[in-house]
Amino acid sequence: MTSPETRTSLLLRIRDPEDRDAWDQFSDIYRPVICRVARLKGLQEADAEDLAQQVLLSVAGAIERWQPDDGRARFRTWLKRVIENAVLNALTRGLPNAACGGDAMDEFLHQRPAKTDPDSELLRTEYRRELFSRAAQQIRHEFSDDTWNAFWLTAVEGTDVDTAAQQLQRSRGSIYASRSRVMKRLKQKIEELNFEN
Amino acid sequence: MPTFTCNPELIEDFLADRLSEAQQIVFEQHLNTCDHCCAELQQRTADVTLWNDARSYLSSTDLAVRLLSDSTASLSETRSVSADADRLLNLDFLNPTDDPRMLGRFAGYEISGVIGCGGMGVVLKGFDASLNRYAAIKVLAPHYATSGAARQRFAREAQAAAAVVHDNVIAIHGVSEFNHLPYLIMPYVKGQSLQKRIDQHGPLSVAEILRIAMQTARGLAAAHDQGLVHRDIKPANILLPENVERVLITDFGLARAADDASLTRSGVIAGTPQYMSPEQAKGEGIDHRSDLFSLGSVMYTMATGHPPFRAETPYGILRRITDNAHRPVHELRSDLPPWLCSVIDRLLSKNASDRFRSADEVASLLEDCLAHVQHPSKVPLPSSLKPARQAMRHLRWPFAVAGILLTCAAIALFIVPGNQNEPDSSSSVAKEPKTVESAEQASDTTDRQDQLSPADDELQWNVDTDLDDLESTLQRLREETL
Repeated sequence: MTSPETRTSLLLRIRDPEDRDAWDQFSDIYRPVICRVARLKGLQEADAEDLAQQVLLSVAGAIERWQPDDGRARFRTWLKRVIENAVLNALTRGLPNAACGGDAMDEFLHQRPAKTDPDSELLRTEYRRELFSRAAQQIRHEFSDDTWNAFWLTAVEGTDVDTAAQQLQRSRGSIYASRSRVMKRLKQKIEELNFEN
Repeated sequence: MPTFTCNPELIEDFLADRLSEAQQIVFEQHLNTCDHCCAELQQRTADVTLWNDARSYLSSTDLAVRLLSDSTASLSETRSVSADADRLLNLDFLNPTDDPRMLGRFAGYEISGVIGCGGMGVVLKGFDASLNRYAAIKVLAPHYATSGAARQRFAREAQAAAAVVHDNVIAIHGVSEFNHLPYLIMPYVKGQSLQKRIDQHGPLSVAEILRIAMQTARGLAAAHDQGLVHRDIKPANILLPENVERVLITDFGLARAADDASLTRSGVIAGTPQYMSPEQAKGEGIDHRSDLFSLGSVMYTMATGHPPFRAETPYGILRRITDNAHRPVHELRSDLPPWLCSVIDRLLSKNASDRFRSADEVASLLEDCLAHVQHPSKVPLPSSLKPARQAMRHLRWPFAVAGILLTCAAIALFIVPGNQNEPDSSSSVAKEPKTVESAEQASDTTDRQDQLSPADDELQWNVDTDLDDLESTLQRLREETL
């Protein structure tokens, strides 16, 4: 069992504050993603959360072995690959016993799972879902209820513009304008949060 | 008012926030009538994939309720909740320990692991050295204890829950606070939740559905007797301990404290609404019958493998619960006996007064049903399965003859003067069925009377000619019942 301090202390070894931020953002986004994927694979909630915690801990443990070499993008790319491998391997083969170190862990973190694996598709979908969800939450307060609802009703719930206009007692034009405003911002936010770039 | 002609540059300016307020108004007026510019705007805002993704990804998250409701459900609050959860998962609230096998100490317990983590906090496995036993410690997330009122509420509810002592309700050994975090001590139980069982094995057998539902109803009855409503009955809160045929309800009374805390904070509904009653979904006052609805949802889930009301969003689920009828169980599982479906239907009545009166009534009924399922030949089905028309249909013919005879007997009792003082049990049958057989007979009675309608009018009844017939029938019937 890894002690609770492991994560923090290991992360202190990442010298660059920007990398630390990247890790924070990363684990923040990936924890719910791992939970959801695990739940979809049939794990119970508590077990899914446990798995997420363990995967993140094992990745945190591996961070010390990362050598900063070719510039900024590397850490993020590396992190994303390692974490995806860990999730996919954990789902197909279970977690290795030792919480950190050793060949088993290395394989667990770095061995590429089969490309055709439907699980990697699932992981990608859930990652995108989380990305959209977060972006929406983070920009919500920038818009009035009316503007937001114009977007939500038509773009998300699929209500047609005329019905939404009637429901919100606004003109069609303002529904179109409002939802584009929200969508534009959503797009920006997603680009900002996305690690795939 | 004439609108200007289409100007693609204006769309660009709008998207770049370069329009003045007046210009925006004009632009919106133009959009009112110009489909071409609307389409153009949509396309320039984001490509089709992004619009599609926004729709499919956002509609399937639990954001709808949170973001649609009010602007008070602001980002900072929802974030601080997850930050709290993170903090609990980090376990940095534990005190250090000298035992290398342990994670830390909390309130005198050596913590050896994390059992689970939910919306309300984290559940730890702790060892109590003085009593030499393991316990489950539920530590509440700090945001549930920010206000004094919420804290008091929690303590009061938890103490009330602790007062429920019943085989089917998990015991609460203690309620206290440590490092400003409220916590509960419960026995450590090895086993799985009903949710996990359903996830792993799919729909359950009739006997299992009855056994689990009956024990859950018993536990609920014990709590209801003390005026406590669970409010969050769902498969994840029903524990199936390993190796024993026993069911334990967990989290009694806590849902209320959780609701209060989160609702007052942000208008967010705590947890999944899938098992909520319609009155809960509408935010109306609830009583013990709300738990009965949830029990019906749990039975439905045991029978079919999924809850009765499903939708892409929590908001959609709430609407389904209040507005739509559930899909009949027998459509999804034809092998279930119709009476079981009708019990579930009745529990799932939208109107609380159409459900059963009490959890106790449900428990006794299910117990009788279970006995019937286990010994179909010895134990008859309980009679209180009132809306049992379907149940009757396939049992019909064995009782049809007896029904006709009884009808005749009943009529005879009304019209034959010599029999008026007869203390005959069959006279009560027509009023209130006491067993399934008699219910069947009663329903047949009405059928027969319809057919005999010219004759069942006393005024047209020819006493002299039919009296002999009736008397002999009655005689035969008496001999049969003796």
